[in-house]
Amino acid sequence: MASMTDDLPSARPLLPGGGQRDRVLLVDDDDRIRRALSLALDDEGFAVSTAASGEDALTGLARDSVDLVLLDLMLPGVDGLTVCRQLRAQGDLPIIIITARTDSVDVIDGLEAGADDYVTKPIVAGELAARIRALLRRRRPGTNATHLRVGDIDISPDEGRVRSLGGGGTEVHLTRTEFRLLVELVAADGRVVTREDLLRRVWGYDYLGDTRLLDVHIRRLRRKIEPDPDEPTLIVTVRGAGYRAKSRTDADER
Amino acid sequence: MPTSAERALRAPVLLPRRLPLRWRIAIAFALVSLTITGLLAAVTWQLASDFLVDKRVQGATVQAALDVRLVQNALRTPGVGGVDSLLTGLAGGQNATVAVRNDGAWTTSGRSLDPASLPDDLVALAATGTPARQRIVAGGIPVLAIALPLPIPDGVYVELAPLTELDSTLRFLSAVLVVGVGVSGLLGLSLGGWAGNRALRPLIDLRDAAARVAAGDLSARLPEYADADLAPLAATFNRTTADLDRRVRRDARFAADVSHELRSPLTTLINAVAVLRRRRAELPPTAQQALDLLDADIHRFQRMVTDLLEISRDEHLDERDLEICGVDDIVRHAVAERPGVTLELPPAVPPARVDRRRLDRVIVNLLDNADHHAGGAVRVGVDTANGAIRIEVDDAGPGVPVDMRHEVFERFARGGSAGRRDGAGGTGLGLALVARHVHAHHGRIWIEDSPAGGARVVVEIPMAPRDDT
Repeated sequence: MASMTDDLPSARPLLPGGGQRDRVLLVDDDDRIRRALSLALDDEGFAVSTAASGEDALTGLARDSVDLVLLDLMLPGVDGLTVCRQLRAQGDLPIIIITARTDSVDVIDGLEAGADDYVTKPIVAGELAARIRALLRRRRPGTNATHLRVGDIDISPDEGRVRSLGGGGTEVHLTRTEFRLLVELVAADGRVVTREDLLRRVWGYDYLGDTRLLDVHIRRLRRKIEPDPDEPTLIVTVRGAGYRAKSRTDADER
Repeated sequence: MPTSAERALRAPVLLPRRLPLRWRIAIAFALVSLTITGLLAAVTWQLASDFLVDKRVQGATVQAALDVRLVQNALRTPGVGGVDSLLTGLAGGQNATVAVRNDGAWTTSGRSLDPASLPDDLVALAATGTPARQRIVAGGIPVLAIALPLPIPDGVYVELAPLTELDSTLRFLSAVLVVGVGVSGLLGLSLGGWAGNRALRPLIDLRDAAARVAAGDLSARLPEYADADLAPLAATFNRTTADLDRRVRRDARFAADVSHELRSPLTTLINAVAVLRRRRAELPPTAQQALDLLDADIHRFQRMVTDLLEISRDEHLDERDLEICGVDDIVRHAVAERPGVTLELPPAVPPARVDRRRLDRVIVNLLDNADHHAGGAVRVGVDTANGAIRIEVDDAGPGVPVDMRHEVFERFARGGSAGRRDGAGGTGLGLALVARHVHAHHGRIWIEDSPAGGARVVVEIPMAPRDDT
C-alpha cells in the first residue's frame, strides 16, 4: 500500500508567509480523484496526504498527525462510516465527509457518525478549501466572558473546556464544532439565534447552509449536555426561527 | 351531433343517460318492483272487495226478505202492537233504517230518514212489484237500500243496511295495499342501489386506481378478484401499472446512475483544470485559449450533471429538509446579486414551509433562464393570493407564445433560442427542475404575459398552516 505522502506533488511544509500549512488527509479509493484533488488543494495552500482505504487512513493517522480528514464514505474494506466513528472515538479531529449522494440518509449517517461537515461530488477544490478553512478557523466566539453557564454546564471559551457541574465537575467532551455551536447559543444569553446565523458563524456558510447539518449537530450536542435529550431544556427549538439556550433569568423562573 | 352509427349502437334509452348507472339500476329495480306489487295489489283488491261486498249484499238481502215477511204478517193481522212497534224492533239492533209506504204515507223507524231522499227509480221499481237494491248515501253514511213490494196498495218496504263497517274494512284494505306497494317500491330502490353498488364496486375501484395512476401514483393496484369476469381486468390493470412503474423507475435510476457515475471523473476534470487555470499565465496563447474553452465547458458539464442528478432524484420532499421561512428573504437574497432587477415586496409576507435550498434554486433558475433566453429579468414581485405566496418573474424578452407555455417546462426544451449552445447557455433542465420543485411543494407554476410586454413566470407556493408558524 502506498505510504501517506506518495502522491504529494511537492513537499512544501511552509507557506510563503512562513506560517505552518494546514495538513489534510484525503481518503478516497479513486486514484485519479486523489491526485487531482491533491494538486488543487495544494494550490489552495494545504499540505495534502492521501490514503486509498480505511485501513490505510487509520494506520497513517496513528503515525502522523493531521489537522483535518477528508473522508469518502464509500471505501473498500473498512468503510467511511466506521473510520469516522473510530476517529471520533479517539478525539475531536475535524472530519469532512465526501459523499457521492445527496440523499438524506447518507449525509445524516455520516454526520451522526461524528463528521463535522460534508461535501458532495463533484468536488470543487475552491469550495472545499472554504469549508476546510471554516472548520479550522480558530476564531474567538463573539463573547468576552471567561465563563458561560447554561443549566449545570460550565463553559470556558478560552480554554475550550466544558464541564458538567451536576456531574461533579466532570468534563464533557465536545468536538470543536459542537463546542462552537454551544458557545454561539449560550453567548446569545437567551436570545434566539437563527439557523442562518448558526450556519454562517459555525460552518461559514454564507447563505444556504444545509439544515440537516445543523439539526444533526444540535442533536449530538443535546445528547452530550441535556439531562434528557428527548425533552431538551437547555437548548430549545424555536419553530420557524432557530434555537435558543436557556438564560440565567430563565433559570430563576424555574 | 351523434352519427347514425353511434345512434345505432346505443341501447334504447329507458332512463335519462345523465343519471349515473348506479341510479339507473336502482330506479329500474324500483319500477319493476312497483309494477309487480301494484298488479298483485290490484287483483287482491278486486277479489277481496267483490267478495266482501257480495257477502254483505247477500246478507242484507236475506235479512230484508225475512223482515218484509214479518211486516206482511203484521199488516195482515192488525192489532197487537201494530206495524210501528214491529218496525222499531226490526230497525233496532243493527243501526239500520226501515221504512214502509202504505197508501202514499211513509212510516220510518231506526235512524231518521227523509223518505224523499230515497231514489225515485228504486221506490218506483218496488212499487211495481220488482225487488230492487242500490248503494246510496243516506244521512251521511253509505248504505245499501233494498226496496221490496208489499201486498198493499202502493205498498213499498225499504230497508237501509249500513255499509260503514264494510266501507272501513275496504278502506283499511286499500290503505294496506297502497302502503305495501310503496314499501315494495322503496325496497326495490334500495335493493337496486345495493346491487348496483355491488356490481359497480370493481368499476369504482378501477376508476379510483386509474385516477391515482393518472395523478402520478404508480403504486396503485386493484385487489385480486375471485370473480372470473373481473379477475382478468384486475390482472391486466395491475400488470400494466406495474410495468409502467418499473419503466419510470428504471428511467429515473438510469439518469441518476449516469450522472452519479459522471461525478468522479468530473471531480478529476474540475480540479485538474483548476490547477491549470491557476497557471494560465505560464501557458502559450494557444494553450490558454484551449484552456478557456475547457474551463467553460467543464463548468457547464458540471451544472448539467448536477441538474440531471437533481431532476432524477425522488420528487417527494424530505420532511427533514422542510422549515418555516420567509419566501421574501429567499427572493431578496437571490435578487440581490442582480442589479438590473426591480424587486417588489409587500410589507409582510406570511411564512411558508419549504425546502429553502429548492426554493432558492427555483428563483435562481428562473432568473438564469430569463438571462439566457429573454434578455434578463426586469422585475421580481412577491405577493399573496388565494392562500398562496405568489412570486412573479418578468423578463425583457418577446414573451412566450401560448402554445409553447407548457412545453418550456419540459426537459431540454429550448424555446426561442433552439440550438444555442454558448458558454452562458443553460443546461436545458433549468425550468424542468423549477417545475419539479414547485410541484414538490404542492405549488403551481405557469407563464403569462407581463404588462411590460415580456413573459411573466408565476409561481405559487402554499402558505404554512396557521398553527405551524
